[in-house]
Amino acid sequence: MRILICISNVPDTTTKVKFSTDNTSFDDGGVQWIINPWDELALTRAMELKEDASNPVSNVTVVTVGSPAAEPTLRKALAIGADDAIRVDAVSTDAHFVASQLAAVAANGDFGVVLCGIESSDYNGSAVGGMISEIMGIPSVSAVSEFKFDGGEVVLSRDIDGGKEEVSVPAPFVAIVQKGIAKEPRIAAMRGIMMARKKPLQVVPAADAESFTAYQAFAMPEPKAPCKMVDADNVKELVNLLQNEAKVL
Amino acid sequence: MDRQIVFLLVLLLTLLVFGFTVRKYSGYFKHTRKGFPVKQLGRRFGVMMEVAIGQTKIFRRPVMGLLHALVFWGFLVILIGSIEMIIDGLSGTERALAFLGGFHSFIMASGDIFALIIAVGILVFLFRRVFLHVKRFSGIEMKHISHLDANVALTMILLLMVSLLGMNTFYILSATHAGHEVVGLYPISNMFASWIDAGDHNEFWHQFNWWMHIGLIFVFANYLPYSKHFHVFMSVPNVFLSRLEPLGKVDTMESITREVKIMMDPDQAFASPPEGAEAEEEVPERFGIMDVEDVSWKNYFDSLACTECGRCTSVCPANITGKMLSPRKIVMDVRARMKEKGPGLVKNGTDYSDERSLLRDYISEEELWACTLCNACAQECPININHPSIILGMRRYLVMEESAAPGELNAIFSNIENNGAPWQFSQEDRVLWSEGKVEVPLMSDFPAKGENPEYLLWVGSAGAFDDRYKQVSVAFAKVLNHLGISYATLGVEESSSGDVARRAGNEMLFQMQAMMNIELLNGYEVKKIITCDPHAFNTLKNEYPDLGGEYEVIHHSQFLRELMKDGRLSLNGASLSGKKITFHDPCYLGRANGEYNAPREVLEALGSTVEMKRNKSFALCCGAGGGQMFKEAEKGEKEVFIERTEDALETGADIIATACPYCMVMMTDGLKYKNKEEEISNYDIAELVANSLNL
Repeated sequence: MRILICISNVPDTTTKVKFSTDNTSFDDGGVQWIINPWDELALTRAMELKEDASNPVSNVTVVTVGSPAAEPTLRKALAIGADDAIRVDAVSTDAHFVASQLAAVAANGDFGVVLCGIESSDYNGSAVGGMISEIMGIPSVSAVSEFKFDGGEVVLSRDIDGGKEEVSVPAPFVAIVQKGIAKEPRIAAMRGIMMARKKPLQVVPAADAESFTAYQAFAMPEPKAPCKMVDADNVKELVNLLQNEAKVL
Repeated sequence: MDRQIVFLLVLLLTLLVFGFTVRKYSGYFKHTRKGFPVKQLGRRFGVMMEVAIGQTKIFRRPVMGLLHALVFWGFLVILIGSIEMIIDGLSGTERALAFLGGFHSFIMASGDIFALIIAVGILVFLFRRVFLHVKRFSGIEMKHISHLDANVALTMILLLMVSLLGMNTFYILSATHAGHEVVGLYPISNMFASWIDAGDHNEFWHQFNWWMHIGLIFVFANYLPYSKHFHVFMSVPNVFLSRLEPLGKVDTMESITREVKIMMDPDQAFASPPEGAEAEEEVPERFGIMDVEDVSWKNYFDSLACTECGRCTSVCPANITGKMLSPRKIVMDVRARMKEKGPGLVKNGTDYSDERSLLRDYISEEELWACTLCNACAQECPININHPSIILGMRRYLVMEESAAPGELNAIFSNIENNGAPWQFSQEDRVLWSEGKVEVPLMSDFPAKGENPEYLLWVGSAGAFDDRYKQVSVAFAKVLNHLGISYATLGVEESSSGDVARRAGNEMLFQMQAMMNIELLNGYEVKKIITCDPHAFNTLKNEYPDLGGEYEVIHHSQFLRELMKDGRLSLNGASLSGKKITFHDPCYLGRANGEYNAPREVLEALGSTVEMKRNKSFALCCGAGGGQMFKEAEKGEKEVFIERTEDALETGADIIATACPYCMVMMTDGLKYKNKEEEISNYDIAELVANSLNL
């Protein structure tokens, strides 16, 4: 079974977000790019499954939609252990456009499983995974927190209110994974980094697809109000401040 | 003549067996890693004279140290007598070196005295081993066979001395009876000779003891290589082959430098490989140490020279606090593993595998991750064995070949890679520590002015992001401003020095950080660097030169002392009068770089100081080095920082002074744990100085 992992190339989580062109686009100057943390966990789990010889996983491919600037992130995924990588040569615009590209790649490659992170840490749209399955006409399971094989059959678990739910699903399918799918993201070993240079990274042209949405404007959250520290013993002062300054009492 | 033939045969047999042993070990050495070039022979000779012949490190424990030194020096003298015996045995002479006259008498006399001293010393050693329960002689690595081996060797030495004294005593008696002149002086044996007399049997007993002594030497010489007492042969050469670099310096892996250079050149790293390139690229060797053939020949030499005295383990912070790690075990495991795998390697070649390895079958990951890389073990070893290089080598294997570091360390690797600090803070926030508190000049403002500041202040990730240490950065910057020092910081351009990545085994990440920082520093033509962080101090000073960064690096304690010396900084103890200060030595300032005095001189100018029982090179680590700062401690009886805080509390000091961000965190936690944070304060020396200047 071949596994396809959809990788989103996102800014490092400590990035100071800035916008340009009248707050309609993200300013990517000086940004450090990383693999979307949920996708990184999906990749980690796929590697674990592949390394256990009792599982029927033959190959792990990573794919992203992006410009050549996204290639270091794909190389990193190869360094972590993916066998090959595909970059759809297009600038991603919205979820539908990206999902269409990924579905085209998935349909083209005889993949048994398509793994997506539940959301990307930059735009947090949580839409691509579901759309891929819809476009391809195959099942999808969302919020998967466990992925294993039981006698060659896929068993997925989902966290639900107060318990767990086990789901079996025929391949091919899309699994949209959340935290818990792997314990910790795997880091690239030196050997992996060296091998990654030699692994195939294929660039494919974008398929025809529409963007359904367009960003009108971004706004930064209001800065946090300054904080006043009150000594734990000084309840009087606390009440006074809440009453007269914050006017909440 | 018959006697000479018998002696020759016995000698040949001894040499034959010994030759077989030498061949065996040299076969093993061929399967260790190259590297560790032996240069600076003059300096090495000096170290050998001081540490081996002078026995300086054994005196770190004075009582047992003196006994050992006497035994050692005695051996050296008696060795000359043994050479004489071999000449006598081969040529049929008696006391062949007598022609040396006074010198011969001197050697014979001192050998005779030493024989008694050694015999007494050995009896004390045996008594200690058999009847006293010395903690140092126990541990998971100390099996029955180790104790048996020690006692057998000690008994042999005792018999050697008894037979030597017996030989001398009956020689005197026999010569006197026969009316011959007694060659040489034997103060002790003369005394014995006055007590006993075997009459006609004197010559028999002389011969008996002569043969027993030489026979024991031959047996001993061939027993030693299979015993922990191989030490007797190996320790002097081992000291000669000592690592000469500062203890804090970690050796640079050149194979990684090659890779990092390719990686940092994106065109090369991410270009698709040219046709046929794959075949050309050599298959890289293994990174780090997984099995015994990955250790350097020097690591193996260390393991053969080790006599299992356990001084390393007795000062190991991890071991003291009940964790699994024992540096002695690490060294013993290297020897034991070679004994197991060596014959197969010699017979079947490098590719031989017995499905076992040094890592995991001998040394567990738990042991490796418990190390704080404080270098106390290497400091303590009387014969300069370097344990941390083995531990770090195995961490390197785990990280770079298996990505098998503890999760918290993997997280800091990602942070350093993505945002340039072990903590998850944006690089842009590196300047926030000073905002609204102190004006700090930026390096990037200087080129426009056409000038260069004299010093670069390396703030460090902790100085910029750790809440407590930010206050230290502010205090130190205030002192610099107050004194009108020409300096600047790198601001948002600074990035982790890589120290923690390197010590956690991620050599690749370290080198990437180092090369990036060096490019930046060299771009600004930086010559002198000051830092409050001993870890950055050690890395920039000792480790960056290997990668092209040569700077004069000064720790802030040294800088403050220099300012005091040239009169620019005058301190008076007024603000701290009546307070007692105790100083906790940071490992990377003290043991790693030998700087014990600078912080003390600054503190003495501020108030009265008191020492902890473990201080200077004996100081106990705070527990945060070697990546421990960022992970949970391994299972044990106690946290290292608590043990160290107890040392500080014992002094009755009012202030615990430190000079390191990690030590600061640990000692503060220790005071909280002991509920002493109200009574006792913990300050960096920069804060105490700033405070006394009312800044």
